Amino acid sequence: MMERDREERVDLAQISFRTLELSDVDDVLVWTSDEKVAKFCSWEPYSSKDQGIDFIQNRASEFLWGKAICLNDRPIGFISLTSCSATDKSREKSAELGYVLGSKYWSKGIMSYVVKQVMKVAFSEFPHLDRLEALVDVENVGSQKVLEKAGFQREGVLRKYLVLKGKSRDMVIFSVLSTDL
Amino acid sequence: MSNLDLSKVSLRPFKLTDADDFLLWAGDDRVTQNLRWKTCGSREEALAFIREVCIPHPWRRSICLHDRSIGFVSVYPWSGDDRCKADIGYALAADYWGHSIATKAVKMAVPQVFKDLPHLLRLQAFTSPENKASQRVLEKAGFLKEGVLRKYTYIKGNIKDSVVFSFLSTDEFPHDDC
Repeated sequence: MMERDREERVDLAQISFRTLELSDVDDVLVWTSDEKVAKFCSWEPYSSKDQGIDFIQNRASEFLWGKAICLNDRPIGFISLTSCSATDKSREKSAELGYVLGSKYWSKGIMSYVVKQVMKVAFSEFPHLDRLEALVDVENVGSQKVLEKAGFQREGVLRKYLVLKGKSRDMVIFSVLSTDL
Repeated sequence: MSNLDLSKVSLRPFKLTDADDFLLWAGDDRVTQNLRWKTCGSREEALAFIREVCIPHPWRRSICLHDRSIGFVSVYPWSGDDRCKADIGYALAADYWGHSIATKAVKMAVPQVFKDLPHLLRLQAFTSPENKASQRVLEKAGFLKEGVLRKYTYIKGNIKDSVVFSFLSTDEFPHDDC
């Protein structure tokens, strides 16, 4: 991995998680307006404060668990768990992991560190959970590496599993079990 | 049953008059063990299940031999943005196992399903890793095995791994040599 931002090395001890506040909206817009970040997300990049506020007030609280990823208490991304029972009542002991990180912070080991922490939090805060899973676009190699480094197991490729921005996508499915930790 | 004629296997919607035949296989634990269905306990339950579940179902067919019900094939489409995919499930009376009937039924169902569900891109099936016979049905019917999903779902209170298979609208139908 290239160290082009050697002078911008991040001290992982400065990474924390907390609930997003309305006062975070400008920091949120940094990643939501970035088309590199939005590329594999279901949403188009946006820079409107209203949309940022809508995310903070309404979307962020819809998850089973959703926190801002903070560096020195400033949000640089977001990580969430969604109960799989939303789509299948027999899957309430599984949760799907989702995350997004400002592109300036990519390739520094931050996201895999964050995922490792959240794995532990997930199974301790939700002891009924057996399984965390994540779906990653086949072309999103960076995100696949994040999950592998964090200890997720790659289970296979689900062909044309989702339609994202009007196109059907093949998705790699990963999982980690409470018994893996 | 060595001279079972596969050309007499057909798919059709369920009818209330299937109740007695339905009870024969839906009342058998061997048939329902891998399904979410409760084993059917009486003719009244069979009638209720056919009337309230099978008939209104988005896509459910009775697998018939000489027009008598010996099993089912079901396809359940997802909704909204996810209507590109649907789940297929099936079961067959135990007396008729081992004659490629389920394979024939699934092979008949697949092209019809893609005709009936125009938004469908992906038909997916989930089987238990121990259920080798069911995996063979899907392989012979042209489905691709994609992986094993660990502790994916609960069936009748038991956590299960799931082997996931798919058939896409762009996949080729296998040759007809059941």
